[in-house]
Amino acid sequence: MDGPILEVTQVTKRFGGVTAVNHCSLSLTPGRIYGLIGPNGSGKTTLFNCVTGLAAPDAGLIRFKGERIDHLPPYLIARRGIGRTFQVIRVFPELTALENLLVVSRGDGEAARRRAMELLTFVKLDRLHREYAGNLSYGQQKLLEFVRVLVREPELILLDEPAAGVNRTLLNDLLAAIRDLRAQGRTILIVEHDMKVIMELSEQIFVLDYGEKIAEGPPEVIQADARVIEAYFGRG
Amino acid sequence: MKRLGPALLALGLLAWLALWPLWASGYRVRFMLELFMWVALAQSWNLISGLTGYVSFGHVAFYGTGAYTAGILILRADWPWPLAVLAGGVTAPILALLIGYPCLRLKGPYFAIAMLGLNEVMRVVVSYFDGLTGGGLGLSLPTLHASVPVYYAMGATALGATILAFAIITSRFGLRLMSIREDEVAAEAMGIDTSRYKLYAFLLSAVAPGIAGGLFARDQGYIEPISVFPLLTTITMIVMCLFGGKGTIFGPVLGAVLLSVFQELVWARFLYVHQVLFGAIIVAVVLFMPKGILGVLQERYRLPRTI
Amino acid sequence: MTVQITGTMLLQLVVSGLLAGGLYALVALGLSLIFGVMRVINVAHGTLLMLGAYTTYWLFALLGMNPFLSLVVSIPVLFVIGVVLQKLFVHRVVHAPELSSLLLTFGISIFIANAAMLAWSADYRSVEFLTGSFLLGPIALSKPRLVSFVVALAVTGLAFLFLHRTKTGKAIRATSQHRDVAQVCGINVRRIDLITFGLGAGLAGAGGSLVSVMFAVYPEMGQIYVFKSFLVIVLGGAGNYPGALLGGLLLGLVEQLSSLYLTTQVSEAIAYLLLVVVLLIRPTGLLGGRT
Repeated sequence: MDGPILEVTQVTKRFGGVTAVNHCSLSLTPGRIYGLIGPNGSGKTTLFNCVTGLAAPDAGLIRFKGERIDHLPPYLIARRGIGRTFQVIRVFPELTALENLLVVSRGDGEAARRRAMELLTFVKLDRLHREYAGNLSYGQQKLLEFVRVLVREPELILLDEPAAGVNRTLLNDLLAAIRDLRAQGRTILIVEHDMKVIMELSEQIFVLDYGEKIAEGPPEVIQADARVIEAYFGRG
Repeated sequence: MKRLGPALLALGLLAWLALWPLWASGYRVRFMLELFMWVALAQSWNLISGLTGYVSFGHVAFYGTGAYTAGILILRADWPWPLAVLAGGVTAPILALLIGYPCLRLKGPYFAIAMLGLNEVMRVVVSYFDGLTGGGLGLSLPTLHASVPVYYAMGATALGATILAFAIITSRFGLRLMSIREDEVAAEAMGIDTSRYKLYAFLLSAVAPGIAGGLFARDQGYIEPISVFPLLTTITMIVMCLFGGKGTIFGPVLGAVLLSVFQELVWARFLYVHQVLFGAIIVAVVLFMPKGILGVLQERYRLPRTI
Repeated sequence: MTVQITGTMLLQLVVSGLLAGGLYALVALGLSLIFGVMRVINVAHGTLLMLGAYTTYWLFALLGMNPFLSLVVSIPVLFVIGVVLQKLFVHRVVHAPELSSLLLTFGISIFIANAAMLAWSADYRSVEFLTGSFLLGPIALSKPRLVSFVVALAVTGLAFLFLHRTKTGKAIRATSQHRDVAQVCGINVRRIDLITFGLGAGLAGAGGSLVSVMFAVYPEMGQIYVFKSFLVIVLGGAGNYPGALLGGLLLGLVEQLSSLYLTTQVSEAIAYLLLVVVLLIRPTGLLGGRT
């Protein structure tokens, strides 16, 4: 596929008097891992919400594979091939782990079930497939949510703080999984506060501050960028 | 071999119920008839509110609509009652579509408030078109001694509603409905068209009350606005469903049976205290047993979700 | 049959509407407070109103007390009842899913209404204290309605003073705006819940006392006020307390004016449609409240 897989053009989103995202533009080439960082309140999750349809941009366009998706309802955007996880875990607590995946899958019957079990095995949750998702531990729920995104085989995956609250071993598994996805040709955009994770994984990083993109580039460049340092440490 | 036991039990139960009118008195037949009605109502409420979490506080509106549909068709258009009653099962979902399409967009408490008002409006609508509906004076249907056929019809409705619940709760459709209850935003983000599913559930939940209302009309022979649109009916079906266990297949059945029997015992002995007690029961169920009997059992004994 | 609408007629209706609206505002304010602070839809509000009405009735019938004076009794009595109900039952459904609070308060309302029926029978009672009308030019102001309106306004005014000038009142408003933040700021939200429910009940009771002077007193009398209060809250915005006042007046006006062309029943249906439309277009109420 040529051309960017995702194009965010001059997107602005306001909540009352607060401008959460301010004329933000970014462009993702397919098959790479991107990082999205910035201090708290810089608009990262709001940007995610705009891309996935949970918030409607007040201005600007969003194109996925060349087609406009801003102002589409979330479920249609998901069906077109964008998947996301949430900052605060949102599994379906009173459905079992298996059901959490089945409910999302497209097809019916044995094939869907087999694929769901495969995904559960991938994150070592297969033995817990009958357990209510609400009873799983934090880390297990995190993995479940991660793998739930993969059910529909999205081409673009947005991960909102995948490393938050996750211990080191689990984290390594997650990182390996993310690299795996990239190897499959998928595009990944990660919001993270854990700098080590972001620098390790990303090929390209966007930096937001007060809703605007203030820097963009490979990890080495970003780490040395004065504006980025100022954004994180320089202010008041 | 494991499946045979429960199946035989179920068949035995059905046979017993089928033969009931042959050896039970008229009064007892009517009791069971009402019980069937409550099973159908509680089960239907379960479909929308137990599964999707959208609390329909005006569900009796579908019951009343079915009653008036059947009543009008029988009285003014000379339809045979089985057909008229089935027509009630069609007009009720149509009302559900009209109401549900705008209202299901409302969030939790606001949907509940909108549904509460629906009831009042239906009463007003009925009073307004009094040429057709007899207004406040109600409709009197030609007398027909049809308790037994109505008994079977109501039984079939209750059975149908339960089978429908079974089919939905064990299916992918049911899972999707439940995901709406669990986390509607996440469900949407995962590609589930929540608006469409909510609407389907709402429509389906209106069918059985529509039919039950029609049967009630035929059985009583007389309907008036206050008798078919009382808020108390909605509350009763909700409490029955809750008490048995909402979101389960047999919860509403259990709740309807237990509360019907209880009401029967208390009403017969303590006529005036009955309502007061009912208020107390509602409070007790909400405070102490919100998950219902089956819900508690599911948790305690790790029973499957599909019971 | 067309009716000639004169300016006088219109003015009369507007005045009647405002008079009725003041009462709605009073009752709705109580409901709005309870919903705003605790997210509880208090269906029992109507029965609390009814208890206020009966308090006034019995004081009038047995002691000959001036019904308007009886507010001094009915408000505290209902306050206490409200606090008790909150302490025993309602506190368990604060910020719970709406099904719980709706059912709970409905159960309470059935219990109380039927207990009232057992205790006092379903007979209609009335408090015949004030009859007749003042004539202000061509406009007739029904005496009981006028006095009730003034008293309702006074009580509502006091409530607002309480909410805005006292520490507790401000705490109530803070809690209804942002419960978590209020807690972090050291506000004892459970105590606020108690006071709020008591206050809401007191306002409902005051409304009931005033209603008793104008209309019949019987166990089911409060039901209609609950729905109307919901309407007021939706119009004015949940948690928007001045909005409840304006919403109440608006409702009174709309009711009276629509009586020109429509029967009360149809105007009720219109009210419901209005409710749904407002909820769909501006869920935070016409005047802006909280979701």
